[in-house]
Amino acid sequence: MSQSKQEWGSRLGVILAVSGSAVGLGNFLRFPGQAAQHGGGAFMIPYFCALLLLGIPIGWAEWTMGRYGGRKGFHSAPAIMGVVGRGAIARYLGIIGVLIPLAVYFYYVFVEAWCLAYAWEYAKTLFGGAAAMGVDAKATLADQTAASSSFFRNFTGSHSDGVMLGGSLQESVAFWLIVFAINVWFVFRGLSKGIEAFCKWAMPIMALCALVVLARVLTLPPNPEHPEQNVLSGLGYMWNPDFSALRDPGTWLAAAGQIFFSLSVGFGVIINYASYMKRKDDLVLSGLTASSTNELFEVGFGGMITLTSAFIFLGATGTLAAVQTGSFGLGFQTLPVVFAQMPAGNVIGMVWFFMLFLAAITSSLSMLQPSMAFVEEALGTTRKNATAIITVIALVGSLWVIWFSKDLAALTAIDDWVGTFLIVVLAAVQVICFGWVFGMDRGMKEAHEGAHMRIPGFVRFILKYVAPLYLITAIFMFSKDNLGTWIRRAIDNPVERNTLILIGLVVVFLAVLTHIGTKRWRAAGLDVDGQHPPQD
Amino acid sequence: MSSSLNVLGWIFMITSLAFVVGLTAWCYLRVLTTPDEVPEPAKDFHSA
Repeated sequence: MSQSKQEWGSRLGVILAVSGSAVGLGNFLRFPGQAAQHGGGAFMIPYFCALLLLGIPIGWAEWTMGRYGGRKGFHSAPAIMGVVGRGAIARYLGIIGVLIPLAVYFYYVFVEAWCLAYAWEYAKTLFGGAAAMGVDAKATLADQTAASSSFFRNFTGSHSDGVMLGGSLQESVAFWLIVFAINVWFVFRGLSKGIEAFCKWAMPIMALCALVVLARVLTLPPNPEHPEQNVLSGLGYMWNPDFSALRDPGTWLAAAGQIFFSLSVGFGVIINYASYMKRKDDLVLSGLTASSTNELFEVGFGGMITLTSAFIFLGATGTLAAVQTGSFGLGFQTLPVVFAQMPAGNVIGMVWFFMLFLAAITSSLSMLQPSMAFVEEALGTTRKNATAIITVIALVGSLWVIWFSKDLAALTAIDDWVGTFLIVVLAAVQVICFGWVFGMDRGMKEAHEGAHMRIPGFVRFILKYVAPLYLITAIFMFSKDNLGTWIRRAIDNPVERNTLILIGLVVVFLAVLTHIGTKRWRAAGLDVDGQHPPQD
Repeated sequence: MSSSLNVLGWIFMITSLAFVVGLTAWCYLRVLTTPDEVPEPAKDFHSA
């Protein structure tokens, strides 16, 4: 085999890399919106229940399966799932664990470029440039919002297909090229010298940026025109509990969904990252630490900054409207208006969007690694070749998203089908394989190898019964509520339909690689179907 | 929802923040003060 030997440099490195993968735009933009819409402070009850009863236990299962697969010589989700799930069905279902991060990368890298470009727009104002995003603080709020929305539409090309790649080089495309190249470079450098080294710097800088923005928001004076709109009322908007929301099952599902997507479980990344750990490396404390880091960013920063600042300048009605526009609307159209009103808003805007860029890039780096590891492993090729193959696929996919930019249709199709639906499917497959095929006794024994803390006994029950039941129910309810609409949308909208065909082609490619890889692994004498204990 | 932060709001906010900050601090303290690898105990004292 000509594969490169990859490993983590330190335990802190793998924790920061997994944390970096989990902390993303959703922590700062999606979480506060979900909380405000589902009972404010009361939302934290189902939220923390979901964290302790679902998120952390499923995360532990993923870490365990990943390290076990690594001990058998595998680092890709198909191979590891084949071992843990003992056979071809689990192995081919494991393809989802490569597909999700790769396909999400197609659009995520473009969004990441927006973050860096917005930070740049604010940086330019510090050197005498025009008002960032065309938002003039002297205009009415309605005009500012219209200017910000118009800037976003032109910047992302969401008004028409093909505009981003036709004619002269667009700013967002230039930033996309830069960000794409940075990603490929760091992933090519490997785990220790690339991803780990980057995350060790990026995570503390991200925390520092968040602290700067938090300090600014918490010391904002009241809105001079509406003194009742101040920091305390902004925090009240986010945190005052509305217990009636707890009677709505939707609140509990929303809390579990937020935890689930936020922690990146069922995403295919943890299983890959953990496969590079050694047998005696602790994974229980490491998994808990990565989850808690994610929560610190989500609750500590996301829960304190976003809606508080929006409320002070936009009031309850404006903030609610912003939340209802979703993460992109809140982050890229509303917040520029908020920063325009804020004292030192240009500096804070620059720091905020740079922080979002760091949150995004630490996530996107983790999205390329699983597919590169898979290509290396399946074809027995070098990291260089694997990088070339995955770069070409990622380029095609990403250019597709950029070209079909009208209403962000291609982006939305991938986000819905792959970045939302398939994540729950993969998590269900993993949890069932872990609890019912691999075996809970074996799983817990494996998890406790080298562990620096014990997994509480009730987690066995959670992983065996509660988590599969929850995930199957979630898939059922999700399918009932959304699949019909999505399928109709795909039939009616050729861009969405063709995007799904593109995803289908990627699946076929990954299936062929799995077939080739299985033959190679068997020929090399590897225990492809997990029939024997590891030899280490 | 547009009123100032009330007593229950304070309680939920402080408790949530204390939980995530406390958990994260405890985890990192454990990670940074525990050696990376737990040494395997010697199976036979005389041959160790």
